[in-house]
Amino acid sequence: MIPQIGAYILKVHPVFIGVLGAVIGIDLLTLFSVVPYLAMKQGMWVAVGLSVAVGILMVPYTILVKNGRVIYAVVLALLLVVVLAGHQSHGAKRWIGVGWFQIQPSEFMILALILFLTAYFLRDGKDLPMTPSLFLGGAFATVLPAVLIARQPDLGTAVELSIIFSVYVLLKGIPSRVVTIFVLGGLAFFPVVWEVVWTHLHEFQKDRIRAFIDPSSDPSGLGYHTIQSIVAVGSGGWFGQGLSGATQVRYQFLPGAHTDFVFAVFTEEWGFAGGLLFLGLIAYLVWFASRTALECRDPVGFYLASGVMGFLLFSFLINALMVLGVLPVVGVPMPLMSYGGSAMIISLGSLALLLNVRFYSKR
Amino acid sequence: MALDSRSLKKSLLGTPRARLRGLLFLFWVGLSVVIIRLYVIQVIKHGHYLALARENIVKSTPIPPLRGEITDRNGVVLVHNGPNFALFEVRGEVRDPREISWVATDLGIPVDRLRRSFRNLGFVLPPHVPLPLATGLSMAQVGRVNMDLYRLPGFFIQVMPKRIYPENNLAAHLLGYVGSFTTDDLKSSLYRHLPPGTGVGKSGIEKEYDALLQGTPGLRRQLVNSHGTMIKNLKNKPPGEGQSLRLTIDVRLQSVAERMLGARRGAVVALDPRNGEILALASHPAYSPGELSQAMSTARWNALVRAPEHPLTDRAIQGLYPPGSVFKIVTTMAGLMEHKLDPEKSFRCGGTFRVGSVIFHDWKKGGHGTIHLHKAIEQSCDIFFYTLGMKVGPDAIARVSRLFGLGSKTGIDLPAELSGTVPDRAWKKKYLHAPWYPGETPPMAIGQGFLTVTPLEMARLMGVVAMDGKIATPHLRLDESSKMLVSTSLPVQDFPIVKADLRDVVAAPHGTGHPVNLSFFAVAGKTGTAQVVSNRGANKLIKRPRADSWFVGFGPFEAPSIVVSVLIENGGDGGDVAGPVAREIFRMYYVIHATPSSPRTTSPPVATSGSSL
Repeated sequence: MIPQIGAYILKVHPVFIGVLGAVIGIDLLTLFSVVPYLAMKQGMWVAVGLSVAVGILMVPYTILVKNGRVIYAVVLALLLVVVLAGHQSHGAKRWIGVGWFQIQPSEFMILALILFLTAYFLRDGKDLPMTPSLFLGGAFATVLPAVLIARQPDLGTAVELSIIFSVYVLLKGIPSRVVTIFVLGGLAFFPVVWEVVWTHLHEFQKDRIRAFIDPSSDPSGLGYHTIQSIVAVGSGGWFGQGLSGATQVRYQFLPGAHTDFVFAVFTEEWGFAGGLLFLGLIAYLVWFASRTALECRDPVGFYLASGVMGFLLFSFLINALMVLGVLPVVGVPMPLMSYGGSAMIISLGSLALLLNVRFYSKR
Repeated sequence: MALDSRSLKKSLLGTPRARLRGLLFLFWVGLSVVIIRLYVIQVIKHGHYLALARENIVKSTPIPPLRGEITDRNGVVLVHNGPNFALFEVRGEVRDPREISWVATDLGIPVDRLRRSFRNLGFVLPPHVPLPLATGLSMAQVGRVNMDLYRLPGFFIQVMPKRIYPENNLAAHLLGYVGSFTTDDLKSSLYRHLPPGTGVGKSGIEKEYDALLQGTPGLRRQLVNSHGTMIKNLKNKPPGEGQSLRLTIDVRLQSVAERMLGARRGAVVALDPRNGEILALASHPAYSPGELSQAMSTARWNALVRAPEHPLTDRAIQGLYPPGSVFKIVTTMAGLMEHKLDPEKSFRCGGTFRVGSVIFHDWKKGGHGTIHLHKAIEQSCDIFFYTLGMKVGPDAIARVSRLFGLGSKTGIDLPAELSGTVPDRAWKKKYLHAPWYPGETPPMAIGQGFLTVTPLEMARLMGVVAMDGKIATPHLRLDESSKMLVSTSLPVQDFPIVKADLRDVVAAPHGTGHPVNLSFFAVAGKTGTAQVVSNRGANKLIKRPRADSWFVGFGPFEAPSIVVSVLIENGGDGGDVAGPVAREIFRMYYVIHATPSSPRTTSPPVATSGSSL
């Protein structure tokens, strides 16, 4: 089976493999410039992620979707384990230790939710009509892990989960009168909803929103991330400062340079030209995902690929716009770029799902 | 397909597929926003942001914290801090790779050695973190480098605290030493916030209480221009000094112990049996903690590690020795507990004892004649205890040994404590895969064979005797809420018998421990002369190392408040060799307590305060 899949991928999608390799190469180079050790560890995670990807390619996507509910339940149970017995690090409780390394189940929830919602919105491979109860069930399945994750606190991943759900709802379609009611009702109740949400946010999350509204209100405190990030990106110019010239990173003015703000480091080092190249690569990956969905005749494959596309598209856009100061700092990592084992595994795993759909839907 | 398909089928966004196209369109829009924004920031406003990045560089340099001081129980300073000049490199600011060789020329240190000093840390840490290149620089070196530093923004000299040992090498193993920060230290969350170059505890008290002693580093913030020249000082975050630590040690007892050990290999433990406070803990040969706390050449380090007398081993807690005749206390207790020993019954010692074909001899040629328990302990008759051991059996002896705390770590607040071995039938089956032979019981009864103990374990054992069966956990940190005595299941009523015998070991003119006798301070105890290698049979003609000498005792007899355990490796006779060491400690203890309110009259060395650094 593996040689067959391998031959198929190399023959039909050499560009995809090339683009993926280029993105990972860029990622490792950027991390190497921050701290060499990080690049080494990330390289190890890439290897782990690729083996997970191979595992995903071995199982036809229809079988994966059929077991979507089980996978979802397992990851949800892991999230509960985190709540009960997780590791605390940097003030957040997100990790559980497995032997010598730690995993972050909240990241795996993204893949699990995509599989679950695909299974949930379809029956026997047929599209189910959207009903209020179907909507509410899906919403519940999303909100439950999202609340657990938001409490860790990890707002970014929780936001990603709700976006994935929104993508599915959008694809299913909502009657225009429902949309109208929700928009009008939302506007009417916005102050109430805002009040409720605001009181439940962590103080640092509130600070980020305040800082977003006026970044220069306190350059060393609240809007610090945003300002330092923009200064880093801005000092890149057309062709960048080079791998060793990224002063903003050098002086560690940019906290999280290797995680959420790795895109800022990259653009400082490679400049606008490098940025365009990178955006091209990412655009190709998103386009590839959309083609996978559109070319797939099977509704299961279509929804699965669409979910993956929604995840890639939105987490990429949100992270890039956050780095560029357009969106508030929410802590959504950039797929394939941000340092982190779990994030790298699900990025590569979701791309493997695309190839999986392409390979098995043909036969 | 979907609910609304009937009404919107023909419209642009009518089907899921069409809506997916809409989503892709949304992506192109978002991507355009990213590109436009990137263009605005990177190309149009590039000059502005580059100027911001170049001209407003806030340089943060960590300020190392001062480690806490360590004092003895009376406040005499054992370790404090002094200044140490160190050269740091910030790799991210070095413009020319040749700069390091210029610095090396100034210092007169080979450039390879400088490079080697931070190779490992440089791989793990980001380039803005200053790494120590060389420490312990002389004023001449500092002066030469200082002249060049104005054109080398990637290098700076910083005063680091270094450990100073005013009492010379006193209590070296106990205090331990401080070493430089390594990559392994980064893995421990305790050290993650520390700047490289900070000393961290590597052994002894310095390691055990590192979290307490360490303190928190501060931060010096400076606004510098693109040439690396300081424009103005910003608000500094001052370092938090480490807490000072008061030990239970009494420097006077510790110095007597070390002076009496002299050049011999051995260990001394003195503790208060009422609460487990360690009064002295010495191990010789020792090393110089001051020397180890600084950068040391590999050759010198290897010499220390490979030295045949193992100066780095803390013999008091890591040395495993047969307890010899001191162990007869345990055998006696086992006999009394098992009701196999009548203290009044007389016994004939003929000088030999036979198990099967093996003949065991007494240490005294011809034997001790007709004796009973009292004389047997006083003169340390081996035959008496061979016989008793055979009656009681190895398992009962081992069980009682464990009640005395042998075979398990004492739990003293020092890293890397070892525990001795208490063998029994199950132990031998498990580790040596062999049954217990009857011929192995007599040696065990007199503290030979597989049995091993540490000097600290023996001190605790004697503490149990002194306290009539109550056991205390030995500890070095002086705190007011002293550890409580815990009862063991040893029978209280049997202790007076044993203690009276132990008193005569010292007091009686023929007692083996008579060299310890002091007219003004009633000491009780037991000697031991533990053979390292059998001195009979095949080994008879070989020049063999002399036996290890033990003296373990307590005093004053009526209300015990100090236990002393002395071991001299290959010293020979226990009473004559280990005895005088213990005697001088008891004498000093008496002198200290005979003169009430006795903090040392000589003023303790003035500790350098943070301002002088």
